[in-house]
Amino acid sequence: MSASTNTRAQPGSTVLWEKGDAAGHDMLGTRTFGFWLYMLTDAMVYAALFAAFGVLAHNAGLTSKSMLASVFDAQAAYRDTIVLFTSVLAYGYAMVALKKGSRGGVAIGTAVAMILGLVFLAMVGSDLERLFSQGIVPQLNGFLSIVFTLIIYHALHIIVGALWMLVMLMQMGRDGFTSNVVYRLINLRIFWHFQAVIWVLLFVFVYLQGKII
Amino acid sequence: MFVHLQGPWNPVWGRLSLQAIPYQNPILLGTFTFAMIAALAIVGAVVYFRAGPYLWREWFTTVDHKKIGVMYCLLGLVMLFRGFADALMIRTQQAIAVGPHSPGYLGALHGYLTPFHIGQVYTAHGLIMVVFAATPLLVGIMNIVVPLQIGARDMAYPYLNALGFWLTAAAGALVMLSLFVGNFAHGGWYGFLPLFELPYSPGVGVDYWMWAFQLSAVGTTMGSINLIATIVKMRAPGMTWMRMPIFTWASLSTNLIALTSFPVLMVSLALIGLDRYFGTHFYTAGQGGNLMLYNDLFWVWGHPEVYFLILPAFGMMSEIIPTFSEKTLFGYATMVVASFAIGGVSWGVWLHHFFTMAAEPSVNSFYSVTTMLVGIPTGVKVFNWIFTMYRGRVRFELPMLWALLALFLLLVGGMTGMMNAFATSDYMWHNGVFVVAHFHMMVLLIAASIFGGVEYWFPKVFGFKLEQRWGKWFFWFMVLGTAWVFVPMFILGFAGMTRRLDYIPVTQWAPYLRVMLVGMAFYVMALGFFVAHLYVSLRDRVKNRVGADPWGTTRNLEWMTHSPVPAYNFAYIPHVHARDEWAWRKEHGMASLGNESFEDIHMPRNTGVPVLLGGLAFVLCFALVWRIWWLAAAGLGAVVLVIILRSFARDTDEVIPAKTVAGVEGGAQDALPAPARG
Amino acid sequence: MTHAVENPLHHPEVHQASLPGYVASFVITIGIMTAALWLTEKGSLSAQSLVGWTSLLALIAILIQAYWLLHMNWSKAQVWHTVAMVLFIPLFVVMIGLTMWMFHGLYQRTAITMPSGMRTAPAMHAATGGVATTTKEAAKAA
Repeated sequence: MSASTNTRAQPGSTVLWEKGDAAGHDMLGTRTFGFWLYMLTDAMVYAALFAAFGVLAHNAGLTSKSMLASVFDAQAAYRDTIVLFTSVLAYGYAMVALKKGSRGGVAIGTAVAMILGLVFLAMVGSDLERLFSQGIVPQLNGFLSIVFTLIIYHALHIIVGALWMLVMLMQMGRDGFTSNVVYRLINLRIFWHFQAVIWVLLFVFVYLQGKII
Repeated sequence: MFVHLQGPWNPVWGRLSLQAIPYQNPILLGTFTFAMIAALAIVGAVVYFRAGPYLWREWFTTVDHKKIGVMYCLLGLVMLFRGFADALMIRTQQAIAVGPHSPGYLGALHGYLTPFHIGQVYTAHGLIMVVFAATPLLVGIMNIVVPLQIGARDMAYPYLNALGFWLTAAAGALVMLSLFVGNFAHGGWYGFLPLFELPYSPGVGVDYWMWAFQLSAVGTTMGSINLIATIVKMRAPGMTWMRMPIFTWASLSTNLIALTSFPVLMVSLALIGLDRYFGTHFYTAGQGGNLMLYNDLFWVWGHPEVYFLILPAFGMMSEIIPTFSEKTLFGYATMVVASFAIGGVSWGVWLHHFFTMAAEPSVNSFYSVTTMLVGIPTGVKVFNWIFTMYRGRVRFELPMLWALLALFLLLVGGMTGMMNAFATSDYMWHNGVFVVAHFHMMVLLIAASIFGGVEYWFPKVFGFKLEQRWGKWFFWFMVLGTAWVFVPMFILGFAGMTRRLDYIPVTQWAPYLRVMLVGMAFYVMALGFFVAHLYVSLRDRVKNRVGADPWGTTRNLEWMTHSPVPAYNFAYIPHVHARDEWAWRKEHGMASLGNESFEDIHMPRNTGVPVLLGGLAFVLCFALVWRIWWLAAAGLGAVVLVIILRSFARDTDEVIPAKTVAGVEGGAQDALPAPARG
Repeated sequence: MTHAVENPLHHPEVHQASLPGYVASFVITIGIMTAALWLTEKGSLSAQSLVGWTSLLALIAILIQAYWLLHMNWSKAQVWHTVAMVLFIPLFVVMIGLTMWMFHGLYQRTAITMPSGMRTAPAMHAATGGVATTTKEAAKAA
């Protein structure tokens, strides 16, 4: 050992330097941890938006009752919920297939999740289209501004997630299950499943409770 | 879809036209000339020395945490200079424009800056000093020191690290560009709503402010994710939590603050953006908007941000003071707890920035009490530092002088902070210069720690010590300047002067304002000494060469490798046995750098993608400021495309062969402290 | 610094995935969302208790998702994820809760009400809205 010239403190028995690859770090765990931290910052963005929602809801009365009923169409939102949760389940299936190392299973699960994500987007999009054509737009007042911002911000995540799934399908096809592909699939799981959590908040606090504010 | 604009706009150039260039303003023309000469000198030097390829290969594309840290510090220094120039303009204007008979120059009724111009100057001063000077300097030092202190070869995400830096640099460039193309916000660095809404601020100034701020927030959030993951996941074997150096603890706490609070800033700014670009009603007066919502969201970030800046400063003081007292830090555990207590409490005090909002008395009392609570952990830290010095062999070298100045300024700033914590008295001096003087004490303590930290770690990064003579002149003139500027400012605060005045109606204040100008002269001289300090140090760099442990009494892991630190940091990852590992090894006679036989080292490969993304983000924000929609769409598309394409890259790592490692280790100027050699 | 020494598929985080967990989470949360919808559509509850009950349901759904979807647990692979989450939660509560508290009082004290011509809802409507959202926060914090 490097301390062998010295005899004062347990020479030889003290390990001063790690030789070999013993100090190698858990790459996959480090990647997912960082992504999870990012996900929490995104949760903080939602928290700030919900705080704004709480403050601006004070002026919800600026919107007429019939408009509010139109915006907070609980049954349409419930249909969105089912589609999104099924997509999340499909991606969960892909993760179980990943555990077994089944490329086909991961591809099918991811593709189904992506398609359902796109269906969700189409549903939310047509809903927004309908509202906008009725003249119910975010520019009407502060309350509608925050409501539409929350809905559209969530939808943007779904777009990003769907694009990411497409990229992962391509990378998986090219590389198979390398560590890069695997950590990205896990990060995508964190991202996609997180959208379900946010949707619960949106569904209950915006679509259901928005009506009675 | 987009809000209707008043004034010209066309699809190709957006709002950009030749009128946007303020060539009729002599001050800006002078600045432009200065900037052009400086730029030409730099470009000329690069071309003359054929340094272009070297700079690109070794710096622009680097993913080495030390080089990125150095670039952060350079960015911070450049912006510090810009912020100081702004301060100089504010002080001279206020010294001239006193009373109705004061002279007016350059088209101003009083002084030489029009109200619109000085508005931009103090907005830029505030934003630059907080976001583009202090933050990059601190992030830079954390970038350099933290991986070394925990015995890692790099950050957890070297690529993300480079990206964070280049986004911050792009944001800084955006602020600089606003000098010469268009104008800057003129309503204060933290923004006033609904003044910053489009009808009241129809120009591009607020847009520049907003996008630069937003971009730097993205960069800082990336940096915080990186540092937290590095500290949690990349510590050397044997480094348990309670063996971590205190600066690393402070960095962890401070980055937790950044991680949690910066998203709120992004929201508060993004909602202004939605109001200004889409015509929503988040912060409008009327139509269901709430302008106090902005203050709320902004300061939810704003106060934690203050502690985001101060905790690394505390961390640096906690490294410097033990080294130059030749003792171990007093109260390590309480220091850790105090860091996290400060971080935690920072999240519950933000309303004290707007006590005058007319919230309920119970709300104001709550925030008053939480604000005063901050004093407890801070007091713990102060006593710990004092007890560290007590009966130590204190050496007054430059880093120690700066740390002591920081300690003194902390006392002044902290005491006046307690005064501000009272909601009732805050009604008196809200938006007064007493508050300004208070928070300048705090940021100057941060600046003092930064200078101390730079003096302290400079030899580790560059392999030679900074000289002491001009450095001491610099130090003492900074002390003089601080006293002469801020003692009068405290007095004026009590006299009732409010902040951000372009014209001072009370002639009795003139003497104080002129004394402050003398203080500014001291600061200018200090700047001169600083330049001399750097120049002489660079000139004598061969003479001032040092080995691994330049101060002789250092205690942590970063001193256990060569100075300058090799690209891979440690040829072998150290195994940690004690809290102050290096001190422990020196005590037990094991202070060797352990270089006998070497192995291959895996490192990430340099990449130009972060610079490219920084450039694209700059283009995107510039297009958004000027509402050039096609360019914005192209910029955004390019950013997404580059990120996706980069994710397909397979060849991102490289191996440093054992032979190269042996060459570097053998060639290092490996002067170990004499006693350690035994 | 990537050390691709072993098969990434053997990583504990890959092995977190569990089909029963995902299915259970799916079934239960869909059930909870259905219950929340049913409570709202039925219309027999008072506004305040409706807010309370639906918030409680949301809380349960999120806990279930956090456990089965986000794998918030104390296993060696996930412990730092969970710690990070636990550190964030108080901040969510603090930010939303304190914001609601200060604005609730502010609205009452400054008596900012909408110009009556612009409103179609009853005059007291906005005030109950403020109360309702505060209760919502209280329920969420609990």
